[in-house]
Amino acid sequence: MTLALVGGTHRTVPLALRERLAFSAEQAAEALARFRDCFPGREGVLLSTCNRVEFYAAGENGIDAPPPEQLVSFLADCRGIDAAALGPLLAREHDDAVVRHLFGVAAGLDSMVLGEPQILAQVKQAWAIAQDSRTSGPLTAGLFQAALRTAKRVTSETALGRERVSIPSVAVADFASGVFERFDDKRVLLVGAGKMAAETLRYLREAGARDVVIVNRTAARADDLAARVDARPAAFDRLERELTSADLVVSTTGASDHVVPLDLFVRVEAQRQGRPLVVLDLAVPRDFDPRIGERPGVWLYCVDDLAAACEANRKSRQRELPRALAIVDEEARRFMGDMHHRTTAPVIEQLRAGWTETGEAELDRLFRRLPHLAEADRGEIRQAFDRYAAKMLHPPLASLRSESHSGPPHGLLDALKRLFNLQD
Amino acid sequence: MAAFLSGISIVCFAASYAVALACEASRLAFRSGVRGAAMVAFAAAGLFAHTLFLFWRAVDGGAAPLSSPFDWYLLAAWLLAAGYLWLTIANPRTPVGLFLLPIVLGLVGAATLASREPFLHDAASLFWGRIHGGLHLIWSVSVVLGAIAGLMWLIQAGRLTRKEAPVRGFRMPSLERLASITARTPMVAAWAAAAGFASGIVLNAVNRGRGLMETVPWTDPVVLRMAAVVAWLVIAARIAAAARSRPDGGRTTARLALVSLAVLAASIAWGVLGTTRHGKPVTAAAVAAPTAFEESP
Repeated sequence: MTLALVGGTHRTVPLALRERLAFSAEQAAEALARFRDCFPGREGVLLSTCNRVEFYAAGENGIDAPPPEQLVSFLADCRGIDAAALGPLLAREHDDAVVRHLFGVAAGLDSMVLGEPQILAQVKQAWAIAQDSRTSGPLTAGLFQAALRTAKRVTSETALGRERVSIPSVAVADFASGVFERFDDKRVLLVGAGKMAAETLRYLREAGARDVVIVNRTAARADDLAARVDARPAAFDRLERELTSADLVVSTTGASDHVVPLDLFVRVEAQRQGRPLVVLDLAVPRDFDPRIGERPGVWLYCVDDLAAACEANRKSRQRELPRALAIVDEEARRFMGDMHHRTTAPVIEQLRAGWTETGEAELDRLFRRLPHLAEADRGEIRQAFDRYAAKMLHPPLASLRSESHSGPPHGLLDALKRLFNLQD
Repeated sequence: MAAFLSGISIVCFAASYAVALACEASRLAFRSGVRGAAMVAFAAAGLFAHTLFLFWRAVDGGAAPLSSPFDWYLLAAWLLAAGYLWLTIANPRTPVGLFLLPIVLGLVGAATLASREPFLHDAASLFWGRIHGGLHLIWSVSVVLGAIAGLMWLIQAGRLTRKEAPVRGFRMPSLERLASITARTPMVAAWAAAAGFASGIVLNAVNRGRGLMETVPWTDPVVLRMAAVVAWLVIAARIAAAARSRPDGGRTTARLALVSLAVLAASIAWGVLGTTRHGKPVTAAAVAAPTAFEESP
């Protein structure tokens, strides 16, 4: 059994080249079909995300995985890239290094944002495409199933993915949710129609927000975003009125001065009847006068506040990394042990067959000499023979399994073959 | 079976609650996959033993719930422990036990110091006595729950003000949910305490008429402290209602809830340590003075 990996990530391949190397789901299926033709009898899985393109190949029963250079050429050909330019940027791994790498990737340990969960779905999808393309076999099936199991263990046994690390997600999950129990009865006001506003709104929608109003200096942009996110646009001159009825404000304008100065807010505050207000001021320079955050019932967070919380969460994730790596290591050793043990299957099969054949012959001879034996007695004797054979075979099989954990048990297999006269 | 039930002591369930509290406290130190199950198991075991203890007292000793200061404290602790178990199962990530279990253990501790002498009563006083004790149980539990919600509100608000990410394993409920609790409990506590006071007057009158218990004069320390407690709870409820429409209303009601808990604690300490004719059997020295009411501890 051999495993091979060729691939590049955001750390090794520049974005421009990564964009050319990336595969869509359809392109991945086509590439795998081509792989099947180019490398018959081998297994292959192509994992392509915005941050990585990796090809996992496997072979067994005397057929090795394709050499890395062939895989580099294959990937380059598929995407019409010069293999000589691509080759030096791609990493190459073999056997247990492949296993450790994939397990770490599935658990989010190799992601740009440590512990991010989206990669797990992408790994699942890559394996599904390989299954559909009939390039996944027993080896890659076992490998990817073990990778998914490892990722689940890392998620459940460590806090790696618990803390959010993006500014919009931290703003909603750690701060807005700390003030409000639910969002479906709250009015959300977006001041500005930028990308950050849309991203924050995505998390608010997930939290249940329904009533969303967008105010922007350029009405067309507010209309456009409102149409895309199912919100209500409002004219910029209605900002004061919308602030009065809002419960949560996400402000992301590109204004050079405060969009909501203190005196405007004091006027608004008088009409709010004491309702709390959460302000996520994600604009630089800030849209809200910082003194507004000192008003009672106002929870104002600017980008620096949220970035500090994100950084604290990142450090918290880093502290979990050793435990996650230990899980990856444990699962990789278990998987490799199982894989090495698979190589012993033919020898074990022969050994069992030999013992069974000999036992059956002896039983036939015995039953011919003792024809008076009742069927029940014969059954008892047959069971005793089976138990005896199983007990005699147990020590060598246990030794094989134990030896498999530290690598392919070639020495023991050779010894067994010679001792019991087994054929290759 | 009787031997098993009679073998259950206060130490059994107090120890279970203490272990559940230790599990809660360990949230701050490390992560564990089995801690949640352990907390629920110990709390459930404690509650089960607690229930059997009260049941056996009622069956074997004839000490119905609320029939003595000892039983009153244990029933209050039982209610809070049951509430803890429910909240922990419903919201396993909220460390409510860190706030609730010390009070449960405090009430169990107060029970060990309190009198086990049952109040004497006939059918009429039994009825009014249960209403009286039950109402005091309601306001006390309301004050405790309000204070816990208030303390959690202040901790959560402090974190949000300092703009810090939540501490792992110490995720508080939202301010909105906590404020809704601290806003309601003063009203419940005030009404229940006032009704409890009134029912005490009726009970005292019933007892006096039948010569069953020593009457309690208006100047008795218990009467005075309960009058003060009722006055405070009514004032707190009014302030809390007025604060709802103010931007800093949440903070005001949270602080009021904590003051109410301090008032309750002082009241309990006075009840445990002080001397009173409240709830005492009739004696030759009974004084035919202007009477007040029979009251819980």
